[in-house]
Amino acid sequence: MPPYDDWNRIDDEEDDELQDDYLEAKRDVILFCIDCSESMFEQRDDPRYEPGEVKTCHLQTALEAAVEIQKKKVIVGPNDSVGILLFNTTRKTEVKRSDTTEIKRHTYIYQPLEPISAPKIQEVMQLLDAARENPDELREAFPPLTGKKVPMGDVFTSCNWVLRDGAPKTASKRIFLITDDDDPHSGSGSEQLLRSAKTTLEDLVQTGVTVEPFFISTDEQSFDVSKFYSQVLPNGTTDGEEDEESSTLPESISITRIDDLLAQMRFHEVPKRALFSIPFELAPGLKIGVKGYGLVTEQKKGSYKYFVDLGDSMELVNSKTRYVDEGTETDMDKSKIVYGMSVGATVGDDDDDMSAIGTRAVQAGRRPFYTAEEIRSFRTLGLEPTIKLLGFKDRETLLFEDNIKHSNFIYPDELTYSGSKRTFSALIKSMVSKNKIGLVLTLTRRNATPTFCALLPQEEKEDDAGWTDPPGFHLVPLPFADDIRAAPIEEACRASDELKDLAKAWVEKLAVKNGAYPPDSYPNPALAYHNAQLQASAFREEFDAESFEDLTEPKVDVMHRRAGKLLVAWKQALLEDDSASIVPVTTGSKRKADVNVAEAEIRSKWESGTLSKLRVDQLKEFLKSKSLAVSGKKDDLIQRISEWMESH
Amino acid sequence: MPAERAGYTVTMFLVDLSPSMGTTRSVELPPDANGDQHPAEITNLEYGLQFVKLKIQEMIYNGRKTDQCGVIVFGSEETDNIVNEKNGGYEHVAEYIPIGQPNAGTLAKLDALEPSSVAGDPIDALVVAVETQNAYLASKKTWTRKVVLVTDGESPMETEDWEAIVQKMDTLDVWLTVVGVDFDDDELPFYEENKSSIKKANEEFLTQFASSLRTGIIGTCALALRETTKPDIKQTKSTLMGTVLRLGDTDTRPEEAFEINVKNSKCTAMARAKSWKKFAMRPMDEEDGMNEEDRQAIYAELKMRTEYFLDPNIGQDDDDDVKMEVEEEDKNKALEVVEKEQLIRGFKYGSTYAPCPDGQFPRLPTRRGIDICGFFKAKNFRRELSMGEIQYIWADPGQPQQQVALSSIVQAMIQKGYMAIARWVTKDGMDPKMGVLSPVMFDKVECFLWAQMPFADDVRKYTFASLDRLINKRGEVITEHPYIPTKEQQVAMDNFVDAMDLMEAGDKDEDGNRQPWFDTRLSYNPAVHRVKQAMFHCAVVTDIATNPLPPPHPELLKYFDPPKRVLKYAKDAIAECQATFKVRQVPKRVAKQRKDGHVHARYDDDEMLLLDKKPNTNTQGATQSPTQTRGAQSSPKGKAKETNPPDSETEDDESDSEMLLDRAAPSKAEPPTSKKPPSNHPLPTPARSLSPDPARAPGRIIGAAFPLNDFRQNLKSGDLVTKAVEDLSEVIKETVVKPFAMRRKAELLECMGALRETCLKEDEIDAWNSFLQDLKAVCTSSPGNSAFWSEVQKHDGTLNLITKLEAKKHGGLSLISASEAQEFFS
Repeated sequence: MPPYDDWNRIDDEEDDELQDDYLEAKRDVILFCIDCSESMFEQRDDPRYEPGEVKTCHLQTALEAAVEIQKKKVIVGPNDSVGILLFNTTRKTEVKRSDTTEIKRHTYIYQPLEPISAPKIQEVMQLLDAARENPDELREAFPPLTGKKVPMGDVFTSCNWVLRDGAPKTASKRIFLITDDDDPHSGSGSEQLLRSAKTTLEDLVQTGVTVEPFFISTDEQSFDVSKFYSQVLPNGTTDGEEDEESSTLPESISITRIDDLLAQMRFHEVPKRALFSIPFELAPGLKIGVKGYGLVTEQKKGSYKYFVDLGDSMELVNSKTRYVDEGTETDMDKSKIVYGMSVGATVGDDDDDMSAIGTRAVQAGRRPFYTAEEIRSFRTLGLEPTIKLLGFKDRETLLFEDNIKHSNFIYPDELTYSGSKRTFSALIKSMVSKNKIGLVLTLTRRNATPTFCALLPQEEKEDDAGWTDPPGFHLVPLPFADDIRAAPIEEACRASDELKDLAKAWVEKLAVKNGAYPPDSYPNPALAYHNAQLQASAFREEFDAESFEDLTEPKVDVMHRRAGKLLVAWKQALLEDDSASIVPVTTGSKRKADVNVAEAEIRSKWESGTLSKLRVDQLKEFLKSKSLAVSGKKDDLIQRISEWMESH
Repeated sequence: MPAERAGYTVTMFLVDLSPSMGTTRSVELPPDANGDQHPAEITNLEYGLQFVKLKIQEMIYNGRKTDQCGVIVFGSEETDNIVNEKNGGYEHVAEYIPIGQPNAGTLAKLDALEPSSVAGDPIDALVVAVETQNAYLASKKTWTRKVVLVTDGESPMETEDWEAIVQKMDTLDVWLTVVGVDFDDDELPFYEENKSSIKKANEEFLTQFASSLRTGIIGTCALALRETTKPDIKQTKSTLMGTVLRLGDTDTRPEEAFEINVKNSKCTAMARAKSWKKFAMRPMDEEDGMNEEDRQAIYAELKMRTEYFLDPNIGQDDDDDVKMEVEEEDKNKALEVVEKEQLIRGFKYGSTYAPCPDGQFPRLPTRRGIDICGFFKAKNFRRELSMGEIQYIWADPGQPQQQVALSSIVQAMIQKGYMAIARWVTKDGMDPKMGVLSPVMFDKVECFLWAQMPFADDVRKYTFASLDRLINKRGEVITEHPYIPTKEQQVAMDNFVDAMDLMEAGDKDEDGNRQPWFDTRLSYNPAVHRVKQAMFHCAVVTDIATNPLPPPHPELLKYFDPPKRVLKYAKDAIAECQATFKVRQVPKRVAKQRKDGHVHARYDDDEMLLLDKKPNTNTQGATQSPTQTRGAQSSPKGKAKETNPPDSETEDDESDSEMLLDRAAPSKAEPPTSKKPPSNHPLPTPARSLSPDPARAPGRIIGAAFPLNDFRQNLKSGDLVTKAVEDLSEVIKETVVKPFAMRRKAELLECMGALRETCLKEDEIDAWNSFLQDLKAVCTSSPGNSAFWSEVQKHDGTLNLITKLEAKKHGGLSLISASEAQEFFS
C-alpha cells in the first residue's frame, strides 16, 4: 500500500486514477422500501434447503438481502447511506425527531436514512437471527395491515419525505421497491389510487430519485406488471428527463424468484454512472451521442485513514496540501502556479550560487513557464473530448498482447443527439455480421490524453443466469509504440513431438469444455480477507481466519484425479529427454569459477547442517536455479535454502 | 564494439565562437494569437546553440548520472585547455564547462556565450576535446565517447595530419557529429547560395573527415533541430523476474504435480509523460532594480507539504452539504493542526471506525508462483475483460530442461486451441491475481503471455435497455420505432462499414500489396512526446509568450484522421448515412422550461402516437386527462421549491382526490373534449374587461362565435397567450363536431393556421402538437368529422405537427420527427 502522502496527492496529470475517485466521490443513497402485507409473511420452503426442512417468509429474505447489500456498500462506499422503510404494516414510527416529518399511515421507518454503520447492520442481523428461531418474530415486530392496502401513492410520498430529510442533496438517490403484490389496488376506486400513485411517483422522479423495483414472483402466482405497475412506473430515464420518445418499460424492472432476489439486487448495487458523455464522430458531419461506462475496474482495498485519539473518541483527521517556496518559506496560491521542467541535479559545488537552487531568473516580464491551460493543451493536442472513428479492421487484428489497461463500454445517448440509438444499433449489426472491429481516436475527458482504441462490438445476449450482455461497444485502449517492450529472449530449447503429445493428454483432461474465464467464480480473496477482518473489527468480533475460504485456489484434488497419471508419464519423459544433458552456453566474457554444485550434494549438506561450508556464489547459483532471491548475507542465503529444502 | 548502454556516455560539445558566428539570420516564429507571423533576428551562434541546448536538455530530462557532457569553445578570446598547458599551441580554445552531469546552470552558461573577435580552428578544438575526454575517462574504459562540433565553417582550418587524428579517434572509439550552420544537405534538402569559397572548402573537408571515421556523421543545423523533436522510443529492456509455474499439489503429491522455473518480463508497460514541476514567481521587490532592464523575475520551484488537521465540524457535514459550503470560510479558521506523530491509522466502516495501527490487517497467506487452475478454448476468451499490462512468461534461459517442459505445454495448448486460467502470486504473502495464459510460438522459442483478468468484485453489472427489443406499456413487442434501424438504414450502414475498411489502406509492402493502415508499433503517444517537446522548449527559451512552442512533429499526428484515400472513397456512403439516419443534435435544454399540462400530457400522447392504429385510444386519453390537469397545477409549485416539491402537493392529497371525483362527474356529452373542465379552472384575470359574448363558454376568453377575432385580440394584449391557445384549441375541437361544421370549414382552417403560427412563435409547440393529435382523434371517432380531417390533411406543409427541425428553426423544441409527422398525416 502506498504511503499516505502518496495516495493523498492530487496529481492532475494522473488522469486514469481519477476515474475511481470520481466514482467514489459521489455518494449513493438507497432506501429499501419493503412490502409487509400478509403474503410477505407466509412461510414457504426455503429454496436454499431441502424441501420441508426450513421455512422462511419473503420479508425475511428481503431483509437478509438488504443486510447483504449494506455490508457490501459499507466497504465500497463508506459514505453511502441506507434506510429501510416498510409499508402495509400497522406499526407506527416511534422515533420522532423534531426535524422529521411524520410519514403517511401504515408506512413505518424501520431504519432512518443514515450513513451505514456497524450497529445498524447488527440490529437487523439480530432481528433476523431471532426470526430464524421464532417464525412469528417478524409478524410481531411489523404487524401486517389486514383487509386493505396502503395506497401506493402514500408509500411513494413517505419515501419522498424520508429521502428529503435524510439524503445529501448531491447524492444519487434510489429506492429499492420490494413487493410480491402485482395488483395492490384492485376493486373500487382503483383508478384514482393508480393515478395518485403515478403522480406521486412522477414527483419523486422529478426530484432526481430513481425507483428500482424488485418484484417477487412465485410458482403459484407470477408477477404481472401490466396489472398495475406498468401504468405507474415512469420511463427508463432516471434524471427527470422525460424527453425520450418511448413508451417502453423502464430498463431496470426485475421480476425475480425470491432466491434470486439478492443476485438481482447485486446487479443494481452500484448505481449506474457514466464516466463520460461525449460525441462519437463516425465520419465528418455524422455524429451521434454516447455515454461511457467502466464495466471492468479493479476494486481495491479501501485506503486507510488517519485518526487522532481524543481520549473519549476517535476522530478522523483531514489533510491539506500546501505548495511552499522553500527559499522564502511562503505558501503559494494555486492560481499563481506555473509549470516547467525540473531544474535538474546540481553539478558539484563549483560556481552554482546555492541560493539559486531550484529557482530560475529571467528578465522581468518574461515567463519561461507554462500556465495550467497551456499544459492541458499539450496533453490533449488541442482535441476536444470525442470518439472519432478512423475506420474498420478485421476482428483478428485485435491481438491478445495489444492491451494496456481495462476497457470501457459505450452506449448511445439519445438525449444529446436524436437518432443516436438507431445509428448505433445499425453499426453494431453491420460490424458483427462482417466480423469487424473499429479503430477510433478517443479523448474521453478534458484532462485526459488522446488514445487509440479498438471498438469491439457486443450484441445483446442473454446467458443462463438471467444476466443479459448489454448491446454496445467495448473501447479497448491500444498500446502505443512507447508502451511495447521487445521480447528479451529469442531462443530456447524446444520440446519433441513425443513430449508435446504427452502434455496434450493432460492438458485436455484439465480443460473445461465450452468454458471461458469465469469472473463470477473468482471473488478477490485478498479483498474478501481484508473486508472480513474489517467487518469483524467493526462488529467487535473475533476474526476467524480458519473459516476463510479462498475460491481462487486451484482445485487440486479434481486435477490430480483427472490427470495425475498422465502427469506422471509426462514428467518421466521429461527426465529422459535429451535436454537434461545440455549444458547451457554461458555468455559473457568473464570466466567464473565453477559454481555448479549438484542439488543432491546441497541436500546432503543441508541434512548434515554443513551448508555454510559452501561458498556464497555456490549458494546463490543454487537459489538462482530455483528462481529464489539471491539478496542478503550468507546466513540469509542458507536460511532460504533450508526453507526450500523443507518444502521440497 | 559492445552494445550501447543507456547512459555511460560523455558528450563533448565544441562551439564555434568565431566572429562569423555573429552574423544574424531571420527565423520564422510560429504565428501568434492573431495568426501573424513575426520573424525574429538571431545570430548563427544562438541558432547553433539551440541544438546544443536541446541535446543537453534531453540529458537533464533523462536525469542519468552517467550521462555527462562538457563544453569547449573555440575562437574564444582567452586560451584555457589542457593541451595548451602541456605543450603550448592550440590557441583560442577554452574548456568552457568541465565534464559533468548537466543542469539548468549549464544551459544558463551557454546563454551567456557571445561571438568573439578572433577566429578559432575546429580541428584544434577537436584534438583538445578528445584529449580532455580521454583524461576524464581514463579509468572508465567502457563509456561511450561522443563529440558534437557546431560550426559555420567560415574560419580557416589547419588540415595537416588529419588522418592521424582520425586514427586516434577511431582507436578511442569516438563518435563525431558535425552540425554545420547552413551546410548543404541533400536530406533536408538545403543548398546555400553564394557560399564563400573558404566555407565550401571547409564543408568538403569536414564531410571527408566525418566519413573517414568509423562513426562520424555530418548534417546541417536545420535538419538536426528538426530531428530533435522527432518522437523517439526510449527502449527499456525489461528485467527478467524469477518465479515458478506450478500445476497440482506439489506438497503432498509431488510425483503428479510439477513446478517449472520461469522468468516473467513486461510485454506492454504504460509510458507516461514526465510530470511537470510547479513554480511560482517570487513577489518582486519594489526597491531593487529601478531600471526595468535589470529587474529580474525569479521563479522558484514549489515543494508540496501535507498538513493534518482535526475538523471540529466534521460530524455535522454529512447531513448538510449546502451549509458546509457556506461555512467553508469559518471552518478553516477553526481547524486544529495535528502532528503526524499523533496519528493512528485505521479504516472507515461506514460511519464506524476500525482502528488498524499497522495500516493493514494481516494478509491472506499465499505462496509465490503461478498456479494453473484449468484450461479453456481460446475462442471463448473475452477480449474486453483483459485488465492491464501484458507479461511474457519464459522458461528459465539457463535451464534447458525447464525450457523443454514449458515448450511442450505451449505447443500442446496451441494445437488444441486452449488458453489456461492461472492464479499469480508475485511473492510469498502478496495478494493473488487471476489471469489467463495464452500460448505463443516464436521462431525459435515458446512462451506464455499473461493477461490479468477481473475478479468477481471488478466487474460492474450495469443494466442497459435493449436496443432491439422494445416493449410498450402493454407488454407488446414493438418492431418499428425511431430507435430501431430500418432496412434502408441498415443497408446504408453496411455500405459505410465496407467503405471505411482499413485492411488495405496503408502503405505498400515490397511486393506492392497494400498493408493495413495503423500499426501500434508505429503509433507514438502524442501526449508523451508533445509534453516532452514542451518541457525541452521551455527549458531553452526565456519567454513563452514571445517564443511559443513550435507545432508538434507530424509523426505524432499521422493517425489522427482517417486516411484521405479512404475518406474520399467513402464519400457517398457517408452522405447516404447522413441522409437516412437523420441524426440531429438536441439543443441544450433551456433551464427555464415551462412545466405545464402539456409536458405531462405527452406521456399519453406518445402512447397514442405509438398505438394510433388502435381504436380505443380515445377512452384512454379521456380517463387520464384529469391527471394532466392536476399535474398542471402542481408542477409550477414544484419548480419553485425544488428542494421539497411534493410537500405542498401531497398535503392536500385528500382534497385533491375529491377534486378528481368532482371533475369526473360533470363531463359533457362529447367525451374527449372535456380536457379542461371550465368550472374548476382558475381563470387568470383578463387584463381588460371583455364584452360579454353569447357564444363564449364560462371561463373562456375565446368565444365560439368569432374565435379568430377573439384570439387575435388576446394576442395583442400579450399576457394571455397560453390561455388563448388553450381556449382556441378547445373551441376548434368543439366546433368541428357540431352540426353543419363544414360550413365553417374555411374559418376553422384559418383559425388553425393562426393557432399554429402562434404556437410556433410563442413556444407553445407542444400545445399545437397535442391539439392536433386530439383533433385527429375527435374527427376520426364517432360522431366525428372525417371530412374535415381530410381537409386538414391537404395542408401538410402548414397544418401538420411541428417537427423537430421546424421547431429548431424557431428556437423551440419538439419531439416529433419528420417521419412521424408524415405518418400522422397519411
